[in-house]
Amino acid sequence: MNILEMRHISKNFGKHLVLNDLNFTVPEHSIFGLIGKNGAGKTTAMKMIMGFLKPTSGKILVCGENVAYGNTATNRFIGYLPDVPEFYGYMTAKEYLVMCGRITGLKKLQIHERVQELLPLVGLDGIKREIHSFSRGMKQRLGIAQALLNTPKLLICDEATSALDPQGRKEILDLLSVAADQTTVIFSTHILSDVERICDSIGLLHEGTLALHGKLSEVKNTYRKEAVRIETIDEVQARRLFEHLRTLSFIQSVETSQCAVTVQLHDPQKNGLKIIDLLSDEQIPITNYQLLEPTLENVFLDVIK
Amino acid sequence: MIQDYLPFLIPIIALELILALTALIHIFRHRSFRFANRFIWIAIVLFVQIIGPIIYFAIGRGEDS
Amino acid sequence: MNGFTAFFKKELLEAIRNYRVLILFSVTAIFGMMSPLTAKMMPDILANVGVEGMVLKIPEPTFIDAFTQFFKNFSQMGTVVLLLVFGGLLSQDLAKGTLIIPLSKGLSRHAVILAKYASALTLWTLSYALATLINYGYTLYFFQTISVSHLFFSLFCLWLFGAFLLAFLLLASVVTRGAFGGLLVTAAGLGILLICQAIFRMDPFNPLKLVSENVALLTGKAAFDQLLNTAWSTCALILSTLILAMMLFKKKSI
Repeated sequence: MNILEMRHISKNFGKHLVLNDLNFTVPEHSIFGLIGKNGAGKTTAMKMIMGFLKPTSGKILVCGENVAYGNTATNRFIGYLPDVPEFYGYMTAKEYLVMCGRITGLKKLQIHERVQELLPLVGLDGIKREIHSFSRGMKQRLGIAQALLNTPKLLICDEATSALDPQGRKEILDLLSVAADQTTVIFSTHILSDVERICDSIGLLHEGTLALHGKLSEVKNTYRKEAVRIETIDEVQARRLFEHLRTLSFIQSVETSQCAVTVQLHDPQKNGLKIIDLLSDEQIPITNYQLLEPTLENVFLDVIK
Repeated sequence: MIQDYLPFLIPIIALELILALTALIHIFRHRSFRFANRFIWIAIVLFVQIIGPIIYFAIGRGEDS
Repeated sequence: MNGFTAFFKKELLEAIRNYRVLILFSVTAIFGMMSPLTAKMMPDILANVGVEGMVLKIPEPTFIDAFTQFFKNFSQMGTVVLLLVFGGLLSQDLAKGTLIIPLSKGLSRHAVILAKYASALTLWTLSYALATLINYGYTLYFFQTISVSHLFFSLFCLWLFGAFLLAFLLLASVVTRGAFGGLLVTAAGLGILLICQAIFRMDPFNPLKLVSENVALLTGKAAFDQLLNTAWSTCALILSTLILAMMLFKKKSI
């Protein structure tokens, strides 16, 4: 079953077209990474799913129900973590969660149970300070606790890790992986390594539409670049290797930087042996020989080119 | 003649002092203000009776209480 | 309903922790004490500042003077205080983005407006009641007798004006942006009402009449019936203001 369906969504602010006929679906129990440059329309798309913004045209379905602009009943399925979550600074984390619990309609006992589960999960147990003294990472974690409070079917995280340091980012990503056992996650970001770490499917938002959509592994396979990276012991050797490689017919391109030579070639399994032959024939000592895996970054740069 | 009214003036003055003191404590505990700086607010709270502390709490207080 | 109760509680907690309660109750208590005292002290004060050779004839103050002071304090300073204390009621929440999470948790937008109005009205009512009680007690002590018709209605009119002000503030905060948008528009709106009253004599339905005629009502110089009409029309105005605020807020981009 599809948790989320975006159908022909367009949105313009004045003359500026942000989303242009955006279509995608997110199946149940996946971690979907929505990638795009800053200003690509990620936040706009997410706010529309929450019913905070009105699409210029198109339709959004959450768990098969239509999202209505303004008050939308579909929000009962959703937990939402805004990019910079803003809380009431004069409350404690526990008070805030209790308030959210009441709003979402949980019973007193349920609220108590959930809060006792979630506070330790996000590492805010026993912290009695008011929220205004929290660090960014703590606020982000409270944001996750708040989003998970009503055990949502869909967890939407907007740039949840962008403003954090590496330590804070790791904590949030770990939390999201844990959360994903029970729910579907949509995770927007412009940090590609975060996506590679936790997402199983991705959508690449570019110029208002999904330039790329699918399982992470499939996307990587499709955009696989056949490349080999060879490190020699010094720059002179690298230079020699570079000159030799340039003359070979199966080599598409070759680049050198300091001691390393990067080669793009057809069929690296077979032709790679020829390179190794060359290395031994020419007596070029190497320190490292590596088949390059395609990174999301390469894919990303390739697609938006 | 003031003496006659003193018992009635004292609670009023006390309340005004409470307002001013609360505002002053708040000013000293915080570093950021939405407008102006600490000294201007101290002056306003001390010299503008009643309204001074109110203006401070209503518009002068920094973002994160 | 869950949403309303939860948000109403949040509003009250906010009012306490953000010093709104402290300010409101201190100031109204001060008004309650100061008004009868000023009335009582007036002859003595004037006698002291009296220019030499000039004999000021001051009539002995009565309880009417105490209420005159009370109404004057509340309609002038009181309005300013009410606006300052509740100026950020909705604007602050909107400007900071703190409403996003509660709304994402399924809080209805109508509940936001209603809870905010209900909490502000509760605080206004309680603090005004406190001031009235203090004022009444002091007046009774200083002047012994209070015997006048329409006293309660006269006091009610002032309360009603406060209730109108709060409703208008909410509407103004819905249609503006920024942390002080609502406050500024309300101040401007009051200015327009003042102009209407002073220049165009648009009296019968002007809520300002509620705070300008209280004393005249006590001394019998204003007609009860006319003011009653104004009170009814203000009630209708409050209701429609709130409904409009809710309708507009529902369609507002957050």
